[in-house]
Amino acid sequence: MTRSLFMVLFCLCLAAPAYPESGDAILKKVDRNLTPEAFEMYRKLINIEPDGTKKEFIMYSVKKGRDRIASVFLSPASEKGRATLRVGENMWLYIPNVGRPIRITSLQSVTGGIFNNADIMRLDYSAEYNCEKMERAQNQLLLHLKAKTRSVAYDRVRMWVDPKKLLPTKIECFASSGMLIKTLYFKKIRDFGGGLLRPAVIETDSPLHKGYRSVMIFAGVKKRDLPDEVFTLDFLPRVKSLR
Amino acid sequence: MKRALLGLTMWMMCCLSACPPPAFCQEEYQFNLSEIEKEIEKKPYSIGGFVEFRPVLFGLDRSGASYQMKFRDEDRGATEKQYNFGLRLEGSFEKGPAGAYLRTDSSLRHGYQGWSDDITLSEGYLSLKPNPSFILSVGKKAVQWGKGYAFNPVAFVSRPKDTENPTEALEGYYMITADLIKSFRGPLQTLAFTPVLLPVTRTINQDFGEQDGLNLAAKLYLLLWDTDVDLVLFTGDSRTTRYGLDFAKNLKTNFEIHGEMARITDFDKKGIDTDGSLSTHKSDVMLALLGIRYLTANEVTFIIEYYHNGGGIGENDARNFFRFVDLAYDVYTSTGDASRLAEASQLYNKALAESKPMRDYLYCRASWKEPFDILYFTPSVTSIVNLADWSLSFSPEFVYSPKTNLEFKLLGAFLMGGEHTEYGEKRYDYKIELRIRHYF
Repeated sequence: MTRSLFMVLFCLCLAAPAYPESGDAILKKVDRNLTPEAFEMYRKLINIEPDGTKKEFIMYSVKKGRDRIASVFLSPASEKGRATLRVGENMWLYIPNVGRPIRITSLQSVTGGIFNNADIMRLDYSAEYNCEKMERAQNQLLLHLKAKTRSVAYDRVRMWVDPKKLLPTKIECFASSGMLIKTLYFKKIRDFGGGLLRPAVIETDSPLHKGYRSVMIFAGVKKRDLPDEVFTLDFLPRVKSLR
Repeated sequence: MKRALLGLTMWMMCCLSACPPPAFCQEEYQFNLSEIEKEIEKKPYSIGGFVEFRPVLFGLDRSGASYQMKFRDEDRGATEKQYNFGLRLEGSFEKGPAGAYLRTDSSLRHGYQGWSDDITLSEGYLSLKPNPSFILSVGKKAVQWGKGYAFNPVAFVSRPKDTENPTEALEGYYMITADLIKSFRGPLQTLAFTPVLLPVTRTINQDFGEQDGLNLAAKLYLLLWDTDVDLVLFTGDSRTTRYGLDFAKNLKTNFEIHGEMARITDFDKKGIDTDGSLSTHKSDVMLALLGIRYLTANEVTFIIEYYHNGGGIGENDARNFFRFVDLAYDVYTSTGDASRLAEASQLYNKALAESKPMRDYLYCRASWKEPFDILYFTPSVTSIVNLADWSLSFSPEFVYSPKTNLEFKLLGAFLMGGEHTEYGEKRYDYKIELRIRHYF
């Protein structure tokens, strides 16, 4: 009898999912493993063209809470000082020449190249997506994400997650039509200090720009809690002074 | 100065042409994180700017009133060439909460009158930022108020925009200004107050208005229910009191709406009689703007703005002016007496010299980001229509940035309009301009 009960319990354990947590809970953990909730960071964006020509940009960003992020280009000289602010669905662009921030549509691109706002002004995945389904795929967790609103750049996302580190390894982004827009590959896990261990590089390719690749390299990612006033229109031209 | 500026421009252009071609291989990117960390290291100072070369070809309209006033019976041929060299230098310095910023614009031009040059201190101010809620600035600063792209009726303390290049930096005014910012949770997310103190003396801000006066302006900004709202006020000795409001809101993720409204009290409203005499009478006038920004799925951005300039001259006044120029020109050609043409020229400077001197305009712009997968290439077309006389300008534009910090812009402007219309009476029928700009 005891043996039979043990066998039943053993079988039940085998049948139970390895991750009792919901996909949304996993997604929240992935977010926190990628960045603290309030942080500052630097990113180097490299666009690589089919002939090997490169264009490089360096950005400084600060984020607070689930829906506030401000970024400014530090280089190249032609883009220097160009800053963007996102507060929920509100988005503004500051171009130093124009001398004042202008409200832009949240889908508007702020600079040329393969990167778009979704890459530059991305909020937490869990803020923008619900996990509809989670499954095992090649020793990884595969999260099927659906955008919460139509304002999100990619309607559906498939995210492969390392089940031990709870960090993404690959993300496929789809339009509402089902077309694959781009694929992101997370590489080179690095210790940024303060307990933050995350990929330092995201490589991107897109079937829309065949032969073109983009690379985003992260540096100086660290926790920083700034006052709410930093994430306002009047402060936007001074974001770079936070460095 | 001329030689130095010309020399620097030519040197930069030579450097650009001498740059090695890109490596034609699909090499693996390589990076060193410690090098990137060096790149992002903050320095207390920064220096930058651009150098540009801008040749322009004008197709002259010898029957246009502006041509007749300027060149009389000179036969300047069908076209006129102009070569412009420009240099912008920007510098900033930061130490703790204090900072300084400087921007100078230098230009060297060769046109029909020969060489001319200019150096302008466009901005130069000190700022103090003890915390993100309070920023104080003192010096020459370009302050831009308003939500419009091409027109800003509520820009009470700035110079008028060039509607052909609305995103170009403007020269500022000497002022003391502050920003007081407060954030909240709830429907009202941000409240910001910006007072401005702008003096006008014999040595500073002379072109702002009446001299030896002190002027006060203020802006109250609210981010309320996801809508930007500004309430603005100006009062002082140099210009009459004016107040206004503006707003901007995203109605959808690809659709933005904005507007501005300003009321100017005791404005000198101008009228022109059939005999070319200028009359002015004081009245309160209303300026208004309503615009949209719409982004299509294939990344074409449309900007459409309607602008009402209540202080502008009416259609009949403009017609009277152009008839007066015709008459003055006839007198000149038949008798050699140029006094009436000189009068017309003075009248033009008093009543029509503004960028958009009449009452109602429609501004339409469509720009297509990187069509056909051509990266860093943006073609666009812009049209400004004078809704009173239906004359218009049509401007195709191509911007391409083949290399980091190098930008080419090819711009055409074609003016269309009948006799005695604003665009029909301009000095030229068309303009073709190439701008090569290298940022450093």
